[in-house]
Amino acid sequence: METIFVLLPVALLIAGIALAMFVWAVRTGQYDDLETPAVRMLFDDEPPRETPRDAPGEPTHPSDAAPTRSDHP
Amino acid sequence: MSVGSERHLSVAPAACAHCGLAVPPAELHAGDDRQFCCAGCRQVYELIHAWGYEHYYRLVQEQQGALEPVRPSGRDFADLDDARRQDEISDAVGDDRRRTRLYLEGVHCAACVWLVEKLPEALPGVCSVRLNLSSSVAEVVWQPGRVALSAVGRALDRLGYTPHVHTHARAHDARRAEDRALLLKVGVAAACAMNLMFLQGALYAGEASRMATPYVAFFRWLSLGVSLPVLLFSARPFFQTAWAGLRARVVHVDLPIALALAVAFVYSAVNVPGQGPLYFDSLAALVAALLGARQVQRHAQRAALERADSLRGAAFVEFARRLEGEGLNAAAREVPVEALEPGERVEVRSGELVPVDGVVLAGRSSLDNAVLTGESRPVEVHEGDAVSAGATNLGARLVVRVDAAGTRTRAGALYALVQEALSHRPQVLQVTDALARRFVAAVLGLAAVTAVAWASDGVQVVLQRVVALLVITCPCALGLAIPLAVSVGLMRGARAGIFVKNPDALERLRRVHTVLLDKTGTLTEGRATLVDWRGDDLAAALATALEAQSSHAVAQAFRATFGRRVEVARAVDDVREVPGQGIAGRVDGHAVAVGHLAFVTAEGARVPDDLSAHAASLLADGQSPVYVALDGRVAGVGGVGDALRADARSTLDRLRAQGLELRVLSGDHPAVVARVAGRLGLDPEHARGGLSPEQKRDAVAALAAEPGRQGAIVMVGDGVNDAAALALADVGVAVLGGAGASIVAADVVLTRPGVAPLLDLLSGAARVRAVIRRNLGLSLLYNLAGAVLAVAGLVGPLLAAVLMPVSSLAVTLMSTLSPTFTGARRAPVREPRT
Repeated sequence: METIFVLLPVALLIAGIALAMFVWAVRTGQYDDLETPAVRMLFDDEPPRETPRDAPGEPTHPSDAAPTRSDHP
Repeated sequence: MSVGSERHLSVAPAACAHCGLAVPPAELHAGDDRQFCCAGCRQVYELIHAWGYEHYYRLVQEQQGALEPVRPSGRDFADLDDARRQDEISDAVGDDRRRTRLYLEGVHCAACVWLVEKLPEALPGVCSVRLNLSSSVAEVVWQPGRVALSAVGRALDRLGYTPHVHTHARAHDARRAEDRALLLKVGVAAACAMNLMFLQGALYAGEASRMATPYVAFFRWLSLGVSLPVLLFSARPFFQTAWAGLRARVVHVDLPIALALAVAFVYSAVNVPGQGPLYFDSLAALVAALLGARQVQRHAQRAALERADSLRGAAFVEFARRLEGEGLNAAAREVPVEALEPGERVEVRSGELVPVDGVVLAGRSSLDNAVLTGESRPVEVHEGDAVSAGATNLGARLVVRVDAAGTRTRAGALYALVQEALSHRPQVLQVTDALARRFVAAVLGLAAVTAVAWASDGVQVVLQRVVALLVITCPCALGLAIPLAVSVGLMRGARAGIFVKNPDALERLRRVHTVLLDKTGTLTEGRATLVDWRGDDLAAALATALEAQSSHAVAQAFRATFGRRVEVARAVDDVREVPGQGIAGRVDGHAVAVGHLAFVTAEGARVPDDLSAHAASLLADGQSPVYVALDGRVAGVGGVGDALRADARSTLDRLRAQGLELRVLSGDHPAVVARVAGRLGLDPEHARGGLSPEQKRDAVAALAAEPGRQGAIVMVGDGVNDAAALALADVGVAVLGGAGASIVAADVVLTRPGVAPLLDLLSGAARVRAVIRRNLGLSLLYNLAGAVLAVAGLVGPLLAAVLMPVSSLAVTLMSTLSPTFTGARRAPVREPRT
């Protein structure tokens, strides 16, 4: 039973590693937002498009900001 | 004003292709296969399809989200590119990227997250976008070299999510840092506690089977080691607050906890080399449980605060369109409101908020001042009239000369009043009852008595008894039961649409004696509706078809009442609208005129005597009569007014039945207020009208200062003119649709329409208090029994270690399983903005 003198510290070391990983996870902000990732999981991955179907372009004049159907270049 | 013979065909009612709500008849266009309730919805729908993101609509259905009509602001966001503000609003990430946080309006479901996070794909130069659903804050990383931040802002705006610079970023960061620190402490405590329980279990087993000494010593020393992180790191907050309390000569609830931890730890540490009992596992479990409860409490409070923040939206107008150049039709440039100087001119488009206090230079329109003054009727304005910041422009474009802008406006001054009232509120972090303090004093006293009584038996025995006493009577109830009951109650309330920002409000509601209510927007709908109608149906139908061409408040009232019943397409020609007077035209061949008496008689119509008398009675009743003339004869008279909410009378009756004193404080005309009070069964003495925001606040102060007044004052309101009073009252309740300032000032925000949620608030608060009392009572019973056993020496360390978590668990279960807020779980009702 002398092995217990080795086994227990090793077990505690492993627990310590797990704790260190927890600390890292908290510090890098992985526990900050628990709601949105749950929702993001449900999105389907689509293959990224090379170019968007329509270049979004900026309105050149502030009054253009409400485009009609003919606005898109 | 539309002149000429444009033929408009009324179309059958349809649902907006974007948001799904009913399309107002004015927006229906014959020949279009898709109808939209507003230009905003149409724009977003087309943009989504142009970019190929139709998946959005499927996601909305899958996620059971609800769409709202969108309102892109149309701003150019040039201020986001301001080089001087770059460090303030963004941080550098690497060499060529920057990161900023933007608060987005209009985020309400998972589909919004999907759409917003697609931005990097649609706009080259944006590296990543991550949106937090509960706080509506998007973190954007972009390359300033490839795309300007203003372009990102415009893209988000065009999708319907108007962005704002996240002004509370610093406070947000501080809160987040605190949350992370607490989470770390909980994690460490829980990990150590579990390991300590293993070790202690081995020791208990060893006692039974006589484990050899070297192993026993090994386990004991290891226990001491593993408990150190808990005591030195996780338990630090308890020691700090207990010490601070002692220095301020206040007995804080954390004091017995700190004392128990300290004494038990020292006692156990001293015992390690020998044979005495060890309490390390109990201590660690206690710390883990208490910190866990705090974590739950913080989480619930943070969720309620974030939700209240997002409801507030942009509290004030931040940007205005300043006219540059000569003439009233000069080009308009978007500038921040603070940059405006008196004498400059701004334009206010239809549907926008007036950004400044000033004078109208051009344009005729009507303004909705309800948020500022409580006046329920729109006010007509033309050249030379004064306007106030915060009013909504219901009609046509106005050009306004700036007299005061930003914090120097009336609305700005009101907001400053609110901040001042809020700063006088004491910050209370926990619900500390007189009972808790007495309990603490009793335990400490008992410990001292035990020490003295058994002093003759030696230090060992005394310590054993005292430690057992402190461990068993540890105020788990106070540390766990109350915070948990409160947190669970708050979360349930939030699901029922009642957001309690300040948990102390629950306790203050117990003593509620007087309820003060605002009128416009709280007891009444807050907008012009057709309250009364006398006349034939044909006149009503034709008038509605005609009014579909107008955006006047009266037209909206007609649409709200009759518009949904349009079944027949009617031909409308020759429409002439005279702002402020009426509208006339030909509908299905009939000559129709709708408007003031002067207008319809000028069109050649005669008024029959019975309708004339009816109109007079409407006037006496506080409504505005609207005449509908059909082919030269007045065929109907409608009464336009601010309708009482359907649940107002029944809610007030039930509040009265509970023994509460009810009063109305309103900014509207005293005659109108008196009539409303009469209809609600209120004592006319208790209904005061014509009050300015400062007078409302003073009324609350006067009530509170009345000699012999006991009981708390609850103020219920919705507008900027209520905000100061809300902040001053014992409990301030902001109602759905309230102005930003009142949501900031209130303790509770109701997001279900109507006044009835008030009843749910009161009953829910009562139930939470009942749960707390029950938990406290049971814990006291348990503590008393435990204390007796401990003092008598009948409790060993094993029993103490077992009893404590069992009691905590029982208390936790009772808190979470008791019903508290049980209002209907409906999402807030949304109406399309006609």
